Amino acid sequence: MKFLGVVIVCLTGALLLYGTGEFPDWGDPNSPASLHLSNDYIEKAFEETQVPNLVTAVLADYRGFDTMFETSVIFCAGLACFLLLRDFSQKKERFYRHIPTGVILHVKNSKKILKVGKEFEHMDKDWVPSDLIIKTVCRIIIPFIQLYALYVVAHGDFSPGGGFQGGVIFGSSLILLAISYDLKTLVNRIKEKVFGIYAAIGVLIYVGIGAICMPMGGNFLDYSKLAPLVPGDPHHIRALGMLGIEIGVGIAVTAVMAIIYINIVSEGRHDEGL
Amino acid sequence: MDNYPALIVIAPLLTAFLAGIAVWIRERLAYPIALTGLAVSIFSAGKVLMQVITSGTIQYRLAGWAPPMGIEYRIDLLNAMVLLLVSSIAFLNLVASYKSVDQEINDRAGSFYTMYLLFVTGLLGVTVTGDLFNLYVLIELTSLTSYAMIALGDRDRAPLASLNYVFIGVIGASFYLLGVGYLYMQTGSLNMADVANILSGIQGSSTVLTAFILMMIGIWIKMAFFPMHVWLPNAYTYSPIGFARVVAPLMTKVMIYVMIRLMITVFGFDYIFKTLNLSDAVVWLGTIAILSGAVMALSQKNLKKMLTYIIVCEIGYMVGGAWLGNQLGMTGAILHILNDALMTFALFLAVGNMAYRLKKLDLTDLQGLFGKMPWTMAGFVLAAFSIIGVPPTCGFFSKWYLILGAFEAGAYHFAGALIISSLLSAVLFFKVFEICFFEPMSKDHGHGESHSQVVIEEAPISMLFVSGLVSLSLIVAGLYSGTIVNTIILPFLK
Repeated sequence: MKFLGVVIVCLTGALLLYGTGEFPDWGDPNSPASLHLSNDYIEKAFEETQVPNLVTAVLADYRGFDTMFETSVIFCAGLACFLLLRDFSQKKERFYRHIPTGVILHVKNSKKILKVGKEFEHMDKDWVPSDLIIKTVCRIIIPFIQLYALYVVAHGDFSPGGGFQGGVIFGSSLILLAISYDLKTLVNRIKEKVFGIYAAIGVLIYVGIGAICMPMGGNFLDYSKLAPLVPGDPHHIRALGMLGIEIGVGIAVTAVMAIIYINIVSEGRHDEGL
Repeated sequence: MDNYPALIVIAPLLTAFLAGIAVWIRERLAYPIALTGLAVSIFSAGKVLMQVITSGTIQYRLAGWAPPMGIEYRIDLLNAMVLLLVSSIAFLNLVASYKSVDQEINDRAGSFYTMYLLFVTGLLGVTVTGDLFNLYVLIELTSLTSYAMIALGDRDRAPLASLNYVFIGVIGASFYLLGVGYLYMQTGSLNMADVANILSGIQGSSTVLTAFILMMIGIWIKMAFFPMHVWLPNAYTYSPIGFARVVAPLMTKVMIYVMIRLMITVFGFDYIFKTLNLSDAVVWLGTIAILSGAVMALSQKNLKKMLTYIIVCEIGYMVGGAWLGNQLGMTGAILHILNDALMTFALFLAVGNMAYRLKKLDLTDLQGLFGKMPWTMAGFVLAAFSIIGVPPTCGFFSKWYLILGAFEAGAYHFAGALIISSLLSAVLFFKVFEICFFEPMSKDHGHGESHSQVVIEEAPISMLFVSGLVSLSLIVAGLYSGTIVNTIILPFLK
């Protein structure tokens, strides 16, 4: 079997090398890839879409349909994590802390669930008191990360960035919160339900913006037809449409990042983890 | 300008996210939302098929950009047929799935329906698109959803089966993507028609040949063509039945469609059969796939697993038929996409009904099933006859075209394999019938003491209805196969 594997790997390698034989030279300006469509994109993109960033123009407009499905794939990843990992069963062993006294209760094999609130709070089994320095630093830094994420989302039309990058940055700020405090802080602050709904709403914004174009008389995702709905300069309507979908992508990616993180670190229990 | 071509894909996609929101607010709403989405999809697919038959190929520019710059949907007779097939099967399965999902995965049914809609969106998108990269993105969507849904099945074995599928499936998808990259290097375009245009000038290029081989191998891995089939039997056997019923008939058939689309529209017959001359080798591979699929099916002890090996065998039919290089073979292959999807669907519907009552589906568990579930078994028998190729059912007609094509191409080994595999599947199914009909029910199944007191315990009416409908459609498709060939397949091949 191993021998067969080696043979197949060698054959595939040989095929790939054979295929490179007629590649255009590295960086050749006359290669088909740089002649056929690139010129059109470079010359016309700004004029047609009013977006100075060509990459965004191709990503979110000319090939915006692909990007919509990429976003759906990300949603799918989050949903798959929820579907496969989420464990609704109650844990057998639980730890509570009585807040006024600081006494820790260890509940074994009991159906009795203490009400968590002012008096008691949940505790992790291997609970390490969070470090004051880490907590303070993260508390200061998280809002700035989030602000930067919003900037990246909003600035996707002009500079490198966009919904995916901004969403990942925003999501990582939430993950940082979970790491520096503990998972419960995040889960208590933003409920699972909120993440679930936001993940779907984010992609729905994208698909919805595309779908609204159809009753307005255009093809799917044809932003130019949205002009009557939006006040302002109709020339910028494509740029605005792209901003709209970038925001949708940002929301979806943020929520999916959090869903994946929470489900994986807590093995689907959402109570304790990293 | 009407938007039906886009609606086919957008309706299930949009409803998938609505269902995704409903999961958190009121989970029971997810099911009717999913039904609505797929109903709109069927309606649009029907409209599009009518339009294509009367007025020819439809082109739809997404986002309004002209083809090589933007993405276009190009629907001719072939995709229109496959689109209607996919959306109808997905809808019917959803109707049948309500009870079985309730039984198997009731604590996360809403998420299941969301995932299901995304899976169907992927299949429809793969079929409708006229863009090589868009096709890849949608293959990714279909694969990712099917990995997740398969892992939901049997608690012990499904995750491992799914993991195997992930590894192999990812390799397949990356091969396809690598092929697209090589093509882009030589053509600078991703639109199928545009690529085909440019390729006709550079047929001798080694890069194009590599791209062709990579894309074919990628698609073959995805469709489980014989030596690359190892992921399929376990993945489909252990997946939840509500998903197995839709993935088994559709996933592989849509991949066959992709292969035919690449062969006809992108690379062209001249390139494949005159310049390359690979067809003999592939037809031989198809022959081996048919024989080994049939033999492996014979050796199985579990009904569901046996059927998955029959899928492997049927893929051999279609790949071999498409590569025979003549019109008859291609007609047979395309007709078999339709017929095989229906037959496999009918078989898995019957198996789903059995699984609803029996839980375990080893052949020995099926004793006395004709008495216990007569209607389910009637559907199963019809579907089995169709797989064997008994005349009024549709399976016979596509096999007939394939055999004629094999004779015309002089591929007698392929014709022989077709006949042998039909005989083997006859042996196989009559073995099952024998167990179900003649062997008495074991004590723990029957409640009565004598044979006269067999208790009829049928599956719920929604599942039975769909199962009956699809089984009858096998005969209808068989009777109308002349019409299908004359109005859809032959005009497409001209």
